[in-house]
Amino acid sequence: MTVRAILPRVRAQLSVILILLAMLAAGITLAVVAMRGRGGNPSEAQQVQQIAAELHCPVCKDLSVADSPAPLARQMREQIAQKLRAGESPDQIRAGFVAAYGDSVLMSPPKRGLSAAVYVLPTIVIAAGLVFAVTLVRRWVRRPEAEPVEDDAAPMSASDRRAVRGAVARLRQEEPDQ
Amino acid sequence: MSYVTRRRALLLGVVVVVVSAVAVLLSVGLRRDPSAAPSPLIGRIAPDFTLSQLDGKPFTLSTLRGQVVVVNFWASWCTECHTEQPALSQTWQRFQDSGVVVVGVNFQDTTDDAIDYVRKAGVSYPVVEDSDSRTALAYGLRGIPETFVIDRTGRIAARIIGPVDATKLTNQINSMLSAGEQ
Repeated sequence: MTVRAILPRVRAQLSVILILLAMLAAGITLAVVAMRGRGGNPSEAQQVQQIAAELHCPVCKDLSVADSPAPLARQMREQIAQKLRAGESPDQIRAGFVAAYGDSVLMSPPKRGLSAAVYVLPTIVIAAGLVFAVTLVRRWVRRPEAEPVEDDAAPMSASDRRAVRGAVARLRQEEPDQ
Repeated sequence: MSYVTRRRALLLGVVVVVVSAVAVLLSVGLRRDPSAAPSPLIGRIAPDFTLSQLDGKPFTLSTLRGQVVVVNFWASWCTECHTEQPALSQTWQRFQDSGVVVVGVNFQDTTDDAIDYVRKAGVSYPVVEDSDSRTALAYGLRGIPETFVIDRTGRIAARIIGPVDATKLTNQINSMLSAGEQ
């Protein structure tokens, strides 16, 4: 097998390795970000900030309660602080707001019911994309083998060679000027 | 059936399913009344509150159990609240002797501005001040005006976003009153 025949296979294998490396890098980055989020015991202000960052400001567009300058968001932050002081856990506080506003008050939709699709769909799409990529790569690898390669062609038989030589000679006789 | 034909049929099937799903979602969504907003509180006991009225007297919602209560969140700076005010006053005048109470909850306003507006607009139903928005947050308020209709058992029957429509509110109250008589 010549270098030209091997090249597509090598290129395809390299693509697979690159895809796997990119996925590994993404996974490591996500893990590092997730680990960094967990520190020691946060202060009350930090806890308020954390809970507020997980809640949508009800009177704003695409702003969390932590980021919003709206008076209602400020009052929500005050209420979170009061509830923490009263001994409520972050989960209980979140549940209180969900009871009044529904799941839409959460910045990240819950992993149940129809909202679970937000978490499941990307996985399905990534899996489908991987299957598609693997199928494509396998086709690239197979294609050069299916096509006849010039270097690997069977040598001409003696009779074929004679027939070609005869045809060339006849052509030369018919067109003597050329 | 050849492989290519089967693939085309499958693709067509997927397109038909997706388009049908979008069409169904749109037809359901477009038929909904945008002012009748869903709320997780509908069917649940209305969050109780004790707030000061504009004259300083306390007002507790749960003392009205057995009556139909219309809780309207408003502010003097809110122009849409001015638009709906006649409908609320009309409802109060029409139904106050039939076991219906209208309560105005003043939201993010100053006491002076609220008193001034109430006097000028001739509001005669009770108006309370929610100075720290605690009640607004308990009702899942997303803006004003917003109105909640509470039945005789103390459960929230309806949530109206935006200015109330006098006819719709009257129909709602009539159906609740007639349901209570049965």
